Amino acid sequence: MRILVVEDDAEAATAMVRGLTEAGHEVTHAVDGAFGLLEAQKGGYDVYVVDRMMPRLDGIGMVETLRKDGDQTPVLFLSALGEVEDRVVGLKAGGDDYLVKPYAFAELIARVEALSRRRETGSVATVLKVGDLEMNLIARTVHRAGQEIDLQPREFQLLEFLMRHAGQSVTRTMLLEKVWEYHFDPQTNVIDVHISRLRAKIDKGFDKAMLQTVRGAGYRLEA
Amino acid sequence: MKLPSLLRRTPFRLTLLFVALFAAAASAVLAYVYIASANEARAKAQADVTAEFEVLSGIYRERGPDALNVALVDRTIRGGSYLYTLMDADGGLITGNLTESPIDIVPRGTGDGGTVPVWETFTYTDNDASGRVIRPQSLGMQARLSGGEILFVGQSMGDTEAYLGRLTQALWAAMGIVLLLGLAGGLLVSRNLERAMGRLNSVVVAVQEGDLKARAPVRHSGDELDELGQGLNTMLDRLEGSMASIRHAGDAIAHDLRSPLTRMRAKLEVALIDAEAGKIDGTEALELALSEADDLLKTFNTVLAIARLQAAAGSGRTPDPAIFDAADLAADMAELYEPASEDKGLEFSAEIERGLMVSANQPFLAQALANIIDNAIKYTPVGGAVMLRARRRSSGEIEFSVTDTGPGVPEDDRERVIQRFVRLDNSRTEPGSGLGLSLVGAVMEAHGGRIVLDEGPGAYEGFGPGLRVALVLPAAEG
Repeated sequence: MRILVVEDDAEAATAMVRGLTEAGHEVTHAVDGAFGLLEAQKGGYDVYVVDRMMPRLDGIGMVETLRKDGDQTPVLFLSALGEVEDRVVGLKAGGDDYLVKPYAFAELIARVEALSRRRETGSVATVLKVGDLEMNLIARTVHRAGQEIDLQPREFQLLEFLMRHAGQSVTRTMLLEKVWEYHFDPQTNVIDVHISRLRAKIDKGFDKAMLQTVRGAGYRLEA
Repeated sequence: MKLPSLLRRTPFRLTLLFVALFAAAASAVLAYVYIASANEARAKAQADVTAEFEVLSGIYRERGPDALNVALVDRTIRGGSYLYTLMDADGGLITGNLTESPIDIVPRGTGDGGTVPVWETFTYTDNDASGRVIRPQSLGMQARLSGGEILFVGQSMGDTEAYLGRLTQALWAAMGIVLLLGLAGGLLVSRNLERAMGRLNSVVVAVQEGDLKARAPVRHSGDELDELGQGLNTMLDRLEGSMASIRHAGDAIAHDLRSPLTRMRAKLEVALIDAEAGKIDGTEALELALSEADDLLKTFNTVLAIARLQAAAGSGRTPDPAIFDAADLAADMAELYEPASEDKGLEFSAEIERGLMVSANQPFLAQALANIIDNAIKYTPVGGAVMLRARRRSSGEIEFSVTDTGPGVPEDDRERVIQRFVRLDNSRTEPGSGLGLSLVGAVMEAHGGRIVLDEGPGAYEGFGPGLRVALVLPAAEG
């Protein structure tokens, strides 16, 4: 995956480029919004990771310009500003996700990968399939190897999110934000408990465990 | 006050403008009166002259030239306001009190029978009652009589002239007085305003130079300047208040972070010693350091959030409020925490009334609820129960409450546990920063609400007495 990182803090940028490269991505770094804009306009990127506050052209201005030019490449904003209104400003400017600094690498990588996938599944699918797991979004039913699995509404949403991001790591924070739609620190392992209940329903009695724990990051649904 | 600077002052400029406007208006009135009076005087003279001419030409028609001559002599002797000249057909003087007609002799054949009289305005030389030479403005008409003689009749408009002169003089004098008074008034008003503005300005300058304590004197006169001064003072009070609370928050953050930083440093040092002694390897030490850094970051964010909420509470404004149904929030929270609670072997139940609209910061309120539910789960021993309730109180306020069957908090400690970094002795074995309830308290404060700690359901079979934590906040208006 080709990723453009636009970040003026040299050390943060170096670490980010390193981390994303390790994760198997091709990364280009631009030192501010103006260079970022020039680089982005060359095209060919799957995701832009953009710092909000930079000299010359800030992240908001850069993304607004790109969106005006019709560039729909997913954008992940990075910012030290984490209040609700800051998040809203970022998303209004055309950002697709918003990550508050400082962040864990696992969180950054999981979100970047989730963004790139989002574009591919833009078409309206009524059935999601991962391995022998099948989800019908209209009938709201789930089958594994032809066997019906009974899920609570929230478990259904949780599984849907995991299936849409099958093969990718998703973090606990991402799940709380995207499935429950809350932005707060739950203090304890509440998400883990929901995951283990879901796991009990979809993996119990099958040879292969699909819902895997990724150490230091979160979870991944494997086919 | 120097004149050039005076000219730049708004009140003085306004005064000048009004004086000028008044002068223009006075001039217009003067001109109008003058023209109207002059026209009237002229019309009156014209009517008088015409009538006199009619009388004289009547005498001529009925009784002949001699009778006219006699009449004219008679009138001249009696002395009236009229001027006469009677001439023969060739323009030779017959009689009259004016030896020469001011009007040119019209050729014979014109104006016969007095049909087309010629009018003219003129002046003549005369002496007034005190013997001074005057040249009054006059109006006269001249026409040929049927016998060819030429008769001129005129009248001075002198009286009107004098009246208008006096009027003009009076108006000019009045204008002068107005100008003088206006200028003096303008100066006075300017100076007063200048002084009042100067007082306000000196406050602004003092604040610019860093003296936030400077205040404008207020006379309670209720005028605009006083209002401005009061507004300025209120603004400065607010500013000073928020500056103080920022300074306080800064101090608090510095203080609050010192102990977790100290703890982290000590743990890292121990890890280093252990790593050197070969008890743990480098990766483990680094993982420990990372998790310590994450904890510290969490503490930092919480302290920052508390400071921000307290500043918001100080200014009376909830940060980023939204109107939403707190019942939905409570239901989501119950749904989110129920599995964790049951996994620990606690009975979890929720009682949520519908339609609890609040105006609140949703993430902060969610965080507050999460903290008290998490506390309840954490401190209630296995086999106990946790209950979440959301309801509208009879006062109309919205109340969330979490009741557990844990050990509770002794009455004397209930105030204290809301303070920052306070952990009761029996809770030290549990993970936590001691900021959870402080954050809840700050969230409630920023929403104009409160946190109330009470005893739970009471002691029974080794449980209890339990704790009931209630969050009370105002319902959304409307």
